[in-house]
Amino acid sequence: MTQLIDTSIYTAVTEAIQGEARRILSEGSVSAVVGYAAARRKGSAQPVVITQADDSGKLIFSAACVNNLAVYLTKAKKDIPKNGKIGIVVKGCDLKALVGLMGESQLKREELYLIGVPCAGVLASTILPDTALTSGTIASKCRECGERLPQGCDYTPTVTPPITPVLEKKYAAEIARLEAMTPAERWAYWKEQFKKCIKCYACRQVCPFCFCEQCLCDRNKPQMVETTPRPAGNFAWHIVRAMHLAGRCAGCAECERVCPMDIPLNLLNRKMAKELKELYNHEAGFEVREKGPLAMYDEKDDQSFIK
Amino acid sequence: MHTEKEKHTFEPKIIAFVCTWCTYAGADLAGTSRMQYPANVRVLKFPCTGRIDPVFILKAFQQGADGVLVSGCHPGDCHYIAGNFHARRRFAAFRKLLEFVGVDLGRLQFSWVSAAEGGKWVEMVTGLTEQVRGMGPMQEFKELALEEQWSGSIDTPELQEAYDQI
Repeated sequence: MTQLIDTSIYTAVTEAIQGEARRILSEGSVSAVVGYAAARRKGSAQPVVITQADDSGKLIFSAACVNNLAVYLTKAKKDIPKNGKIGIVVKGCDLKALVGLMGESQLKREELYLIGVPCAGVLASTILPDTALTSGTIASKCRECGERLPQGCDYTPTVTPPITPVLEKKYAAEIARLEAMTPAERWAYWKEQFKKCIKCYACRQVCPFCFCEQCLCDRNKPQMVETTPRPAGNFAWHIVRAMHLAGRCAGCAECERVCPMDIPLNLLNRKMAKELKELYNHEAGFEVREKGPLAMYDEKDDQSFIK
Repeated sequence: MHTEKEKHTFEPKIIAFVCTWCTYAGADLAGTSRMQYPANVRVLKFPCTGRIDPVFILKAFQQGADGVLVSGCHPGDCHYIAGNFHARRRFAAFRKLLEFVGVDLGRLQFSWVSAAEGGKWVEMVTGLTEQVRGMGPMQEFKELALEEQWSGSIDTPELQEAYDQI
């Protein structure tokens, strides 16, 4: 049974974002605002960077605003000019990514002007952007989201997100299903999934945390990871990707959304997040931490697996 | 005199990533003390367990290792003060990931072996070799590598026959 999800707050949110963008741009306190604008197809949205106060009417927020805009601020993707403060529209999940980047000294809080968005959830797929947000079309990450209101922003519209119905946690259920399997069955499952990979690296391109100027997986002296879009290379790439995101991933699930072959990439990220929560009580959040769980240690860490 | 060496049908390849300050010295001690241990292990020396990237373990499996042993200084003994503490967290996470993608964790062992523990090194190597021998060859990554070249299974009767004729 599909339930309709109330997105009526998005009209008020859109107006508030427009007003705030107009104010900060005309005041000159920011040089640019990164946000969402309506795209050509009815109901669809695309990322936009505006620098003129007059353009702030372009900004919108709707259930089709799926992108994590934090990616435009990272080092490797130098799309935004670095002069003055930059305003950015963030959902709760996007803010966690920004906070992670601040923790890793990639961004400075004082160089950002955060416009937080109270969020009721976004669509899983933008193939049909004009569909209503229901329990069937909502993104899997939004089903498990507990952070509908981003905290610590410079500006947050004064609307309260509606109480969303409790939805089945798809990632948690899938992880439990896989964990109950034997290693051979799990291997068969992932082999089938990774077989589809075409090594387009869209997952890397869209990830806010993949900001290395030269990726380990692109190096060929020495070559650590096979670059061929064939079984062995695909396996290595996805394991390395999951490992490098362990303890850093903010759970925006952009990797999974952009994957043209529908590989459940966020499943690996969620699994690692779950393990790091259990092992080191670490969770992505709104508080800037200097070090991630794998960049620090405790002398009392579990070592039952070491002989 | 040496005792008659037992013949096995399968000799596993074990790759050991060791730190130069403790386990390598421990293995050296085992050697200078004339202790016997299986020759299946190939030792790779690193400055510290903190230098051992999980990618190395992955690469070892991909290149045909049947088992991997990672060994370094006991907690608190690290030459670089905290390298092994960092490694401990990293490997705790990495083994969970490998388990999740379906690698049998019986093939991957971590240990602390100090420079004085030649006997423990012998125990570790012997234990892992026998354990992996019991599990048989690591087929998963080899099959992936083969699929990279042709879409055949590794263990066809034709291949076995050709192998027997050599």
